[in-house]
Amino acid sequence: MTSVTSQGQLASAASSEVIIEINQMNKWYSDFHVLKDINLTVRKGERIVVCGPSGSGKSTLIRCINALETHQEGDILVDGILLGQNLKNLDHIRTEVGMVFQNFNLFPHLTILENLTLGPIWVRKMAKAEAIETAMMYLERVKIPEQANKYPGQMSGGQQQRVAIARSLCMSPKIMLFDEPTSALDPEMIKEVLDVMVELADTGMTMIVVTHEMGFAKTIADEVIFMDEGDIVETNDPAGFFGNPQHARTQKFLNQIL
Amino acid sequence: MAIIKAQKTTARAAPLSETSVVGWLHKNLFSSVFNTLLTLVTLYVIYLTLSSVFIWGFWDATFVAENRRECFNNSLTGACWAGVIDWFDNIFYGRYPRDQIWRINFGGLLLALWMAPLWMGRVNGKVLIAVSVIAFYPFLAGYLFAGGSKNLFLQIMVTGAIVAFAINMANMITGLTRRVSLNVFVIQLFGKTSAAEKSQRNLLLLLAGLVYAAVFFWQMSWHVEVVNWTKWGGLFLTLVISGIGIASALPGGIILALGRRSKLPVVRVLSTGFIEIFRSVPLITVLFMATTMFPLFMPEGFVLNKLVQVIIAVVLFNACYMAETVRAGLQAIPKGQFEGAHTIGLGYWGTMGLVVMPQALKHMIPNIVGSFIGLLKDTTLVSIIGLYDILGMLRSISKDVPWIGLHKEPLIFGAILFFTLCFSMSKYSRHLEVKLSAGNKH
Ligand SMILES: Nc1ncnc2c1ncn2[C@@H]1O[C@H](COP(=O)(O)OP(=O)(O)OP(=O)(O)O)[C@@H](O)[C@H]1O
Ligand SMILES: [Mg+2]
Repeated sequence: MTSVTSQGQLASAASSEVIIEINQMNKWYSDFHVLKDINLTVRKGERIVVCGPSGSGKSTLIRCINALETHQEGDILVDGILLGQNLKNLDHIRTEVGMVFQNFNLFPHLTILENLTLGPIWVRKMAKAEAIETAMMYLERVKIPEQANKYPGQMSGGQQQRVAIARSLCMSPKIMLFDEPTSALDPEMIKEVLDVMVELADTGMTMIVVTHEMGFAKTIADEVIFMDEGDIVETNDPAGFFGNPQHARTQKFLNQIL
Repeated sequence: MAIIKAQKTTARAAPLSETSVVGWLHKNLFSSVFNTLLTLVTLYVIYLTLSSVFIWGFWDATFVAENRRECFNNSLTGACWAGVIDWFDNIFYGRYPRDQIWRINFGGLLLALWMAPLWMGRVNGKVLIAVSVIAFYPFLAGYLFAGGSKNLFLQIMVTGAIVAFAINMANMITGLTRRVSLNVFVIQLFGKTSAAEKSQRNLLLLLAGLVYAAVFFWQMSWHVEVVNWTKWGGLFLTLVISGIGIASALPGGIILALGRRSKLPVVRVLSTGFIEIFRSVPLITVLFMATTMFPLFMPEGFVLNKLVQVIIAVVLFNACYMAETVRAGLQAIPKGQFEGAHTIGLGYWGTMGLVVMPQALKHMIPNIVGSFIGLLKDTTLVSIIGLYDILGMLRSISKDVPWIGLHKEPLIFGAILFFTLCFSMSKYSRHLEVKLSAGNKH
């Protein structure tokens, strides 16, 4: 049921409703200026791929969006909520925004099922039976329902990453952030994770993905953002970005990785 | 040019040196002339030691005698265990009235029963059981051991303890016989399986409340004879002090460790200061401070008995050491775990209680048990400030007229006792470690 256009690209699900708005945002690590005058608007259902050289601030940017990091200047508006000092807002944001990390960050002392039900039961106060049902549904979706009672340490990296995606989805987030979800994986496992992500994109989820998987970016992205030294240097549609990059630094970067 | 191995190599049996006893001996003990010599000399030394210990401690020893003189008459070269045997009750119970000793044994039995479900695979709710034993048992045991009148708070806690104990036992029985926990069993009994969770919970709370009220009225009529703390002694006193120390050191240590990592400067500075002060002073000093200085800081007319002061000192001292153990365990948890917990919306306590602490505690088991063993042994220091714990009792045997001068045997007996206790703790910790790491290797 995946709807793919003639160029092998997923049809856009973006609506006109804005879900993330970043305005003149700046962040420093002590006196190191990591993010400089960031402006970004993400609409509901939009899929954005972020790329750029190491240390350019990609991780920091998406970590600011779910309040893992705090910014010093400018505004970040997520789902109508202004991220600032207010802790109540933070709690709310974290349940609305799911995040998947390079190193999975599953809880090794819990089984897969327990990993998935922890948030729904303790944060969403869902009944246990219902939480298990939801968890099994998502495990089904990432195609590993038979592994429910294993521990993370007993699974392959690709399987762990799919569990991590399912764990986030169990909280029914409105936005999913991915920070290089496949760069810690062996090549043969990358595809199984990307497939799950493409399917997720197809359900209309709003996604921001930091990745260097160019094929994947071409398939799902509505927009590609290129960062360098804390600046958003170029914002372009995937065809333009890969076929006809505008900025000199983008061209140099693409030459290096392609 | 490529080199190709055409035949698949079939597996062969391992050489004898890897599998048979003789092979092992040959490889490890008699591989060379020098190694053989070393083995023989070592064996001889072991033989000499063990045989003389055996002759002194068993073959030539006296087990039944009225006094030390009789021991000597029986054998000059053997141990005089009769003195230790004669003092058994004192060694274990101190000067606790002999007709009241059942209270101590009963208290011990209650504790054993209370904790037994923790080792039963079929019983649910282990965390609750552990929490209930720490929260309630000390009050019940304290009342049982000390006796006397009880104020309202003690009555509330004693009743709580009895109800918790009863629930625990009932839960154990339903778990063992029907494989369900007590709450499920009761709900089924009332046929309310389909009712909403809220009404189920209300029913359970109502039942527990009724039981509590009944027990409360029942216990109001109890009278337990007072046994002054000065009569407490021996292994009993050692276990009371170290037991309270062990039960409160871990929670105390967790709180102090979290305080030390807190983002609030006041909490952090206070915890750090507290930990560092206690850690840089020897326990014996803390004990002297507690018994001599502490009363000076207290308001006029406020008297705590020496035992309570000692227990407070032991608890604080060990909580501070435990805090550092816990802190080390917390530091071993990767940052990603905090971030993972953060992204599923867990707050500070959820992250700590559900994600971080369970992992940290598991890593810390060897260190925690190590501290417990240290605590048990350090408790003997209270004999220096005049409490008759087990060491105090063992040493007073030599001052008892019939056994005057009998030093060696009591202390050796004490050493064997401590070794047994500590060694089994350490073996158990090893077992726990293996068991807990079996499921989830990183
Ligand atoms: N906690 C921190 N304290 C200080 N500096 C930091 C911290 N985290 C990141 N940085 C610095 O901020 C810059 C941006 O880091 P960030 O992790 O966002 O880069 P990135 O684009 O994700 O790189 P990569 O592709 O290597 O993941 C880097 O120079 C990094 O050294
Ligand atoms: Mg990064």
